[in-house]
Amino acid sequence: MRMGAGIRCSFEDTTRFMEGVVVRLFGEDAVKVLEGFSLLVCRGEFAEAYLLRGEVADLVNDLLGSGRVPYAAGLYAGRLRRSSPMFVPSVDFLSFLYTSLGGFRRALVVGERGLKPFLYGKDVLKASVLECFEPLSKGEVVGIVGEDGFVYGVGLSVIDSCREIEGLRSVDVVAENVFDVGWYLRGGTEARERKFKV
Amino acid sequence: MVERYLNILGSWVEVGRLLQAFESSVNPSVRCNTLRIEDCGVLTERLERLGFEVKPIRWAEHCFEVVGGVNTVSTLGATHEFLVGMYYLYRGRASLLPPLTLSPVAGERVCDLAAAPGGKATHMAQLMRNEGVLLACDVSRSRMRALRSNIERLGVRNAVLLRVDGRIIPDIFPSRFDRVLLDAPCSGEGLIMFDPSRKVKTGTRDLVRMHELQVELLNAALDSVRPGGLVLYSTCSIAPEEDEFVIAEVVEGRDDVRVERVDAPLRLSEGVEEYFGLELPDYVRLCVRVWPHIHGMEGFFMCLLRRVG
Repeated sequence: MRMGAGIRCSFEDTTRFMEGVVVRLFGEDAVKVLEGFSLLVCRGEFAEAYLLRGEVADLVNDLLGSGRVPYAAGLYAGRLRRSSPMFVPSVDFLSFLYTSLGGFRRALVVGERGLKPFLYGKDVLKASVLECFEPLSKGEVVGIVGEDGFVYGVGLSVIDSCREIEGLRSVDVVAENVFDVGWYLRGGTEARERKFKV
Repeated sequence: MVERYLNILGSWVEVGRLLQAFESSVNPSVRCNTLRIEDCGVLTERLERLGFEVKPIRWAEHCFEVVGGVNTVSTLGATHEFLVGMYYLYRGRASLLPPLTLSPVAGERVCDLAAAPGGKATHMAQLMRNEGVLLACDVSRSRMRALRSNIERLGVRNAVLLRVDGRIIPDIFPSRFDRVLLDAPCSGEGLIMFDPSRKVKTGTRDLVRMHELQVELLNAALDSVRPGGLVLYSTCSIAPEEDEFVIAEVVEGRDDVRVERVDAPLRLSEGVEEYFGLELPDYVRLCVRVWPHIHGMEGFFMCLLRRVG
């Protein structure tokens, strides 16, 4: 969070986040892996959610008590939005979730040939999708995973189910690029990225 | 500058070797990020498949020197492996020393007072296995963005990032931390091999200004650590004005600090006790200096202080 930019941070009830976001997107069991975390939401130009536990939560609590806000803290979960998609998870949140759950949910595994253009901000085409993990919903977020199992970004699904991929042409878009880890090199200069990512 | 080196090193031969080392290239290094991958063999295999030749750094677990292949920093900073946080990239090896020397462990309260862009902060989080808390501060807006990118990319989840001048940390968190790292802003005189402009960029006035800031920051670091806790002061400068003189001024001005012997992971040179006829207190000998011509790395300085009482 930027200092002096009118940012307000506060601890919020995790129930709404867990039920309204996590369960809806990733299933009931996803809540279990997030047990013990507190939810910090920082609102300024964007609303950003962080998951904190133990000493990290204590330190942030004391920091807020001193009238200051953190720039970031703990596990950056993602951005909360008023319109669809209501939640854009961070790459690290998806990595944490997939590792903790022992498998992928709401994800597309993309081959090397498709991954390269994706890392330059391009969308994911049918030709590069190797595997698809339900649930998928049109206009909702989807994790973009490499063959090596690492999360390379977040997309917006243009289909409602993995079954729909069959009916697409190889050049048809399966997921629009929302954020990809190539951003770490590009520095977030794309307007579309700024919409979803600090 | 040469006159200063002659005063410290005592012979033209040594000065010549130092200047030659400044003209030589230093291999980049990578730290395998065990917060993202368990088996660093997977990383080295992938890097070798990409054409890089890597060699383990014997004194730094999980760290590798890139000794051959397409070993440019820009190429190493754009691989898929880099982007998903499998490693952190360093221009040299000396930056690995401060986290390994301060050696934070899981569950501790740790502070990095000048953390951006995050090489040392993320290394400490790795040593802490993402447990406990790491407060990572920096004052620069642009460098803070780089810090956050690195924290997220490398999967650090026990950090609190705060954009403030490190000098105010004791006002917010007095005597709070078990260990504090102050990798102080400096002239970068040890990095001439990466940036030759540093040969002429720093004048005496700049050194004085830098020295004053370093003294204030080190006092802040000491006020932020709990009694019994440790502060590691480091710079990427070999100028005594930014190193031993800072230590001496701070230690002489306080009655709650003691210089400890640095237990570095490899043998380094002692601190400088005498400079242009000025004798410094004995304890500065416990500090250590990395000389490019002796240790084959960028120039660096470290001193470990314990808050007592």
